[in-house]
Amino acid sequence: MSAPAEIAQGIESQLTAPLYGLDPKERHGSLVALLKKELAYACARNMKFRNYVQHWPVDFHAADTLADLPYVPVGAFKANPPLALVDASEFKRTLTSSATTGQVPSRVVLDAETAKRMTKGVTTIIKDFIGPARRPYLVIDTPENVRSQGELGARGAAIQGLGSFATETVCCLRSGPDGNTSLDLTKLLEFAAKWREAEVLTYGFTYVVWTQLVEPLERQGITLDISNVRVLHSGGWKRLEREAVTKKVFTEGVASVFGCSADRVIDFYGMVENVGVVYPDCEHGNKHVPAFAEVVVRNPLTLEPVAPGQRGLVQVCSVLPTSFPGFLVLTDDMAEIIDYDECPCGRRGTSFRFAGRVPKVEVRGCGNLDTTRYQQAQGNGSHE
Amino acid sequence: MVRMNDLMPSPVVQSPEEIACAGKRLREIARQDEISPQTILDVFELWAAALGGHELREIPGLAFLRLWLRRGTLEPLLLRELGPDFLNGGWREDGHARLRAFPLGVIGHWPAGNIDLQPVLSLTCALLGGNCCLVRIPSDLLEITQQIMEKLKEVDRHGLLVERTLMVTFDHSRTDMHEAMARAVDGAMIWGGAEAVSQVRKLPFPNWAHIAVFGPRLSVAAMDAETWSDRSDRLSWCRRIARDVWQFEQRACSSPQALFLEQRAGCDPNEFVKDLGQALQEENRAHPRRQIEPSLTSGICLARASWLLESAANRAVFPASPDWTILLGRGTEIPKPTQGRTLSVLLVDDLSEVISKFDGTVQTLGLAMRSAEREETLAQAAGRHGVDRVVKLGRMHLFNSPWDGVDLIRPMVRLVRHVPSQE
Repeated sequence: MSAPAEIAQGIESQLTAPLYGLDPKERHGSLVALLKKELAYACARNMKFRNYVQHWPVDFHAADTLADLPYVPVGAFKANPPLALVDASEFKRTLTSSATTGQVPSRVVLDAETAKRMTKGVTTIIKDFIGPARRPYLVIDTPENVRSQGELGARGAAIQGLGSFATETVCCLRSGPDGNTSLDLTKLLEFAAKWREAEVLTYGFTYVVWTQLVEPLERQGITLDISNVRVLHSGGWKRLEREAVTKKVFTEGVASVFGCSADRVIDFYGMVENVGVVYPDCEHGNKHVPAFAEVVVRNPLTLEPVAPGQRGLVQVCSVLPTSFPGFLVLTDDMAEIIDYDECPCGRRGTSFRFAGRVPKVEVRGCGNLDTTRYQQAQGNGSHE
Repeated sequence: MVRMNDLMPSPVVQSPEEIACAGKRLREIARQDEISPQTILDVFELWAAALGGHELREIPGLAFLRLWLRRGTLEPLLLRELGPDFLNGGWREDGHARLRAFPLGVIGHWPAGNIDLQPVLSLTCALLGGNCCLVRIPSDLLEITQQIMEKLKEVDRHGLLVERTLMVTFDHSRTDMHEAMARAVDGAMIWGGAEAVSQVRKLPFPNWAHIAVFGPRLSVAAMDAETWSDRSDRLSWCRRIARDVWQFEQRACSSPQALFLEQRAGCDPNEFVKDLGQALQEENRAHPRRQIEPSLTSGICLARASWLLESAANRAVFPASPDWTILLGRGTEIPKPTQGRTLSVLLVDDLSEVISKFDGTVQTLGLAMRSAEREETLAQAAGRHGVDRVVKLGRMHLFNSPWDGVDLIRPMVRLVRHVPSQE
């Protein structure tokens, strides 16, 4: 079942609005109005979701601000069957989050309309950062992760999301018989030689770019010499931080092996639960929110939005999904609000900086039972 | 390493050798200088009085500690656990033989990091047995423990207890320090969560060491329909529950994670939950959180959502902040604990069914029952199903002996049997 025309028109209107040019107050008003309609629609489509919303301390119909609307913690998308607002027969694709061994991934279901909007949302945002031209696309991943599947992981979704900018796509990693991946140096060098003078787009998961491309090339003293490249990367920093690879070290390392300037290396933040929205760094190192989305950073003590300069839990908001209730999602990430307008880059609205995952605190005390008893993964007891 | 009688700035120890050396000194004191229980009780009495100062009033649970240290509290406890002869420092006749309690020697204490007073409470139990103590203080509790111990130093003019006490702190990951501490002791009192307790139990204690383990456990509360549906008493009971939920962020083994309400036709649980919400809100006003770990906030938000998204029949009451949460529904199983003042309130047809499902995990059953006869039946059932404490709601955290089904002083003494050779 399609979303009502009124909602579809509202989404389209936000999708076609100036991406980062709206007055924040004006944008907030139109987002709140549309999100209220979407919440009402979701309540009508899913009784359990309605139950959740009805128990929210603020009646969403009466809410004045986006921060008062009921949000769903990201862990709720690990439910099986997945939270959905459309019948299973309408699922076009299921996106899964990246999850480490033993963790349950999130699963979000997309119908045709939501999938279309997702592509449009991502494309519009990326276009603002790299321009509209189609160009050769170097994927720092294996071909298996590019192919379309019924269930698509976060890596695959990001790779495919950028596919609309590609004239041709080359994957420079290969899977060995043991399941490990390695750099296909011949293919990479051929690509580099062929497109040395051209505008090129490259994408990979942050730690994959570092461990599978930058480190091997640095070891061999190879520079690709593609100065017109745009290197986009996303994904967690946890593994790299453990190896003392800071963002600065990473960016300089990538720029060095590609032979480009550091400002051509762009980190973006995104998650499958926040379909159609990605948050690339601007030239001032800040992340921005497009016209069809919002970010609220909440004080963990009060869950109230924080002031500029303060850190808290990130809540992402998007008007794009209508196949699952992913309008307002409280993530397990931390961020700092830089400002609510006026980034020097010229993009208007909320600007923020990602500050890592919520630290998993070792749960202390005599009330902390063996975690396996409740099959939870919230940490272990400790004397500290 | 700093002993309590040359009090800090910081009792940080750097090497296992420091701990070994200190342990040796404590063992010598334990063997050479006997201290009578009456002397210990006298010093504790003075300590209790000294803790009444204005500057310490912010320490959580201090009023309880002062009460705990009183002779009126501890003397009956010693009498019950060790008998009147121990209190008078003598031998007890046992047929042709005689018995006397002797201290183990040096007791190592590994308190959990979530109970502010635990290092001191654990210490007092071992001191009462005449032992010397080597206490590892979790870093978060260092300041509070120092403040309390400073008062002991003031009143213990001859240093009788101070010289028997050594407090140390080191990072929890320093296995070498934990091992050195274990090697230096004759007994251990270990408190904490599953992982922490299992790590400490693996340490290389001497084979003669007595080990007492407290935790990890969880606790639940239960009310019969007559009690929770009685409007006249309801708010008062709700305030008691709120107090039990509030303390220690629900991370203590005695913290109720679930409240089972026995249902009866005509009783509206929504009215009860409304009063409980009011009581939790009042408690929040009186004792607001000053900080929270973001992961706990995430966990609380997820618990709310998961509960309400699991079934359209589930209910919940919570404010916009993570301050407190009531999850209302039906069920006889104890749900996965969220902690952080998140109480599952579950309606059941018969409390006996709930208790019949308990295993050894449940430490305390907090009860509010109209009928003493019914309470007796439930207490019997709870005892058979591994529960160690059955108490009135509002008193779930009241520390007393036995705890976790174990005496607090007796495990840290040896009963020596003397059969005279002159027979």
